[in-house]
Amino acid sequence: MRIPILRLGDILLTSIQVDLTDAEVMQFQTDVLHAIADIEARGLVIEITALEVVDSFMARTINDTANMAQMIGAEVVVCGMRPAVALTLIEMGRGLIGVETTFNLNEGLARLNKKIAQRGDSSLTDDEDAV
Amino acid sequence: MTEAVDFNVARWLEAQQEAVLDAWMSDIVSRWKKNYLHVVDTEHLHLQSRQLLEEIRKLFVENPNEFWEPTPDSKIVVLIRSLSTQRAKQGFKPADSTFYVLSLKRVLWRRLLQDRIAENKVALATCLAMIENVIDRLTLLIYEVYVETRERLIAQQSLSLLELSTPVVRLWDRVLMVPLIGVMDTQRARQTTERLLEAIAKYEATVAILDVTGVPVLDTSVAGHIMKTIAAAQMLGARVVMTGISPDGAQTLVKLGVDFSVVTTRATLRAGVAESLLLVGKRIVAVKDAP
Repeated sequence: MRIPILRLGDILLTSIQVDLTDAEVMQFQTDVLHAIADIEARGLVIEITALEVVDSFMARTINDTANMAQMIGAEVVVCGMRPAVALTLIEMGRGLIGVETTFNLNEGLARLNKKIAQRGDSSLTDDEDAV
Repeated sequence: MTEAVDFNVARWLEAQQEAVLDAWMSDIVSRWKKNYLHVVDTEHLHLQSRQLLEEIRKLFVENPNEFWEPTPDSKIVVLIRSLSTQRAKQGFKPADSTFYVLSLKRVLWRRLLQDRIAENKVALATCLAMIENVIDRLTLLIYEVYVETRERLIAQQSLSLLELSTPVVRLWDRVLMVPLIGVMDTQRARQTTERLLEAIAKYEATVAILDVTGVPVLDTSVAGHIMKTIAAAQMLGARVVMTGISPDGAQTLVKLGVDFSVVTTRATLRAGVAESLLLVGKRIVAVKDAP
């Protein structure tokens, strides 16, 4: 199944609610990146409240996706990680390093909006030249 | 015996010239009709071919016995050279370009075999060998010139591409832009870095935008080159904003383990320009009473 990617102004919101196969995770990665490029999103929220198990592949892919999104110009926040998941990830030595994480969606959006406000292109309104 | 036969080739050719030319031209035209006839002037082609045929005949007269070796400044070599150069520039395929003389060989052979000389096996073999020798040399020559011309063309193009493709644009006070277009190799990367550093020094720039929209392949080596350029610019105190990485490019780079976290990256040049203007304390605003 495909993870829905919701647009919230300049921000894209994705929520992973079921366990994904490796192929689905890769599909998710590609989808997210193309969605960012399509609307020139300035922020991406990856919400993982519903995930009870995060294996090393999933962790790495989330981390990679975040790095990729940053590379094409979006700020990224991963939010809603369960305490147990965080514990496992740290124990595995595979923390989601390099990505901003918050406890819940609300905080995540606040963090993201703050970061976006500091950006140079935040003064750009909708693309006037877009056809 | 042989001399008499060889003499015959030249004379035979003289007698057959018009018929050979006609057969030859119709053979050529039928092959070139599809792709090239609009670039080839038929009258000019006739003239050229008649000249060539005449030269070949003279060759048989001048070298009745020995096998002919092309000398660089003989008339026939000059003729073939100009002809092949022209074809190469007109975009002929090599096979179609060499077909020009190969077709002549075919025509000559066919006519020889129909002639009464065919009854004398020795004479026929000598004639065929002579024609074969000359035409083969000419074929090789055509091919050689063709490749030479193409190679010169490629060298010229890559040179002009190198010249054209590394401009450093002054976007605003203290803001530079480097649009990278085409394949990045070591030489180009060095040239880009040099020009960027010179421009940073010259304009006292504090921000440089590196736009990679036009770079078709982003791999480890290209990323390495770009990272070096960025590090060098940062050493001069300039901040670098990278723009134009495609989603696929980003995926590749992260999978390759390339770390671009030391640079600000933006999806589009538009966002990159806004970002770099902010870094020098400027902003683009709408004018109220725009015309």
